[in-house]
Amino acid sequence: MGNQVNLDPHGEMLLRQYRELYPTLQQLADEAYNQLCQALHEQGIYVTAIEHRVKTEKSLIGKLELKGAKYKSIDDITDLVGLRVITFYSDEVDKVAAIAKRIFDIDWQESVDKRKLHQLDSFGYNSLHYICRLHSGSARFELQMRTALQHVWSTIEHDTGYKGVVKIPREYKRQFSRLAGMMELIDDEFSRLRVVLTDYRRQMLALVKNGKLDDVPLSAETFRGYLELHPFDRLNKRIAAVNQAEVFPVSMMSYLPVLESLGLETLGDVQQFIDENSDDAYQLALSQLAITDLDILSSNTALQYLCLVHVLKHNGGRDGLKSLYNIINGENDANGMLADLMMEQAKTQPFMRQVNLT
Amino acid sequence: MNVKIEEIDGKMVAILCGSLDTAAAAETEKAMSPLNDANGKDIIIDCTDLAYISSAGLRIFLGILKNAQKQGRHVYIKSINDNVRSIFTITGFSNIFEFI
Repeated sequence: MGNQVNLDPHGEMLLRQYRELYPTLQQLADEAYNQLCQALHEQGIYVTAIEHRVKTEKSLIGKLELKGAKYKSIDDITDLVGLRVITFYSDEVDKVAAIAKRIFDIDWQESVDKRKLHQLDSFGYNSLHYICRLHSGSARFELQMRTALQHVWSTIEHDTGYKGVVKIPREYKRQFSRLAGMMELIDDEFSRLRVVLTDYRRQMLALVKNGKLDDVPLSAETFRGYLELHPFDRLNKRIAAVNQAEVFPVSMMSYLPVLESLGLETLGDVQQFIDENSDDAYQLALSQLAITDLDILSSNTALQYLCLVHVLKHNGGRDGLKSLYNIINGENDANGMLADLMMEQAKTQPFMRQVNLT
Repeated sequence: MNVKIEEIDGKMVAILCGSLDTAAAAETEKAMSPLNDANGKDIIIDCTDLAYISSAGLRIFLGILKNAQKQGRHVYIKSINDNVRSIFTITGFSNIFEFI
């Protein structure tokens, strides 16, 4: 108990109260944390971190040494239990705050929005602090909400002892303020960029839904949206009918780099690639599957045969097929064997005769 | 069809020998079922001596893969011959598994 040497009798009394309360505080910290995590999860808000802690005895003693007389009882210290939510974006701080308002009782007299404390021409600590209680009744606890960048600034400021006993010269204070201003600017830019990108995605998906595929660049986002239209279902079903096969669903996203390697740049190109190659892809698949009793196919089958036909039609030959298999399967020695087999199989296909003629 | 399950270097290894055709599927599935309770261990299906795989065999492999993926485990298929590999390719499953 050497920690309490500098405390006056009032401070020691507060410390005793803290020790008695400690198990309750721990329970409160866990309960508030669980409620907050659940509410954020239900609202689909993903944050960088959610922290919770009970103030350590050492930290409390430090506080009581500095301003113990300010507190009549231990209940007057509102940050014995603390939660902190660190968000990716500045607008998410307000969303978290709205959720906190719903799930906790907020003590508005004690809560403070540090973001609004600054003058128009000054920058510094930006964080939203709510003093809360559980709806079921509890001691008060502090909930801090800030962005990752605000957290970085605040943590470094704390680490450098900015508020310590040694007075910091004006020029260094100004450097801290300048950095806070820069963080605020970056936070705003990230939020703005997110809005722009979200709008862009919506716009692209709307174009996909409206069938204006030529205007939509091929990307992970747009291809995912395009797949929702099930563009390969018809050919898959046609191929599956050869052996009355089951089509086993797998992700088709792995074929995006394959399509890009074939030079397809827009969803319009992909649609054209399907339209131009479907009949030949079916014939090629038929020639391979009809001589087997294989009655399970992956949902990638149509896409695979479309790609094979495309390569063959564009005079890719054995090397083109091997390169294609390298992308589909990853590079390995067996891809040469698969390319040879496919070349052999494709020889009899009508579209190969056209290739040979040109 | 013969199946041997061993634990090697922290991985569950199923060594298959023979032809995994429709007739052998039920017995093989039963013999490979310990792979589904592998307690977080990755799985290797050693196909060095696997001569053939039917649709029923593919279904067994897919079932093991699906179960392992749910638990964040990897399924590696080791040393398949050209015949078996071409069946994986024809059916569009060649990039679903990890081949070693």
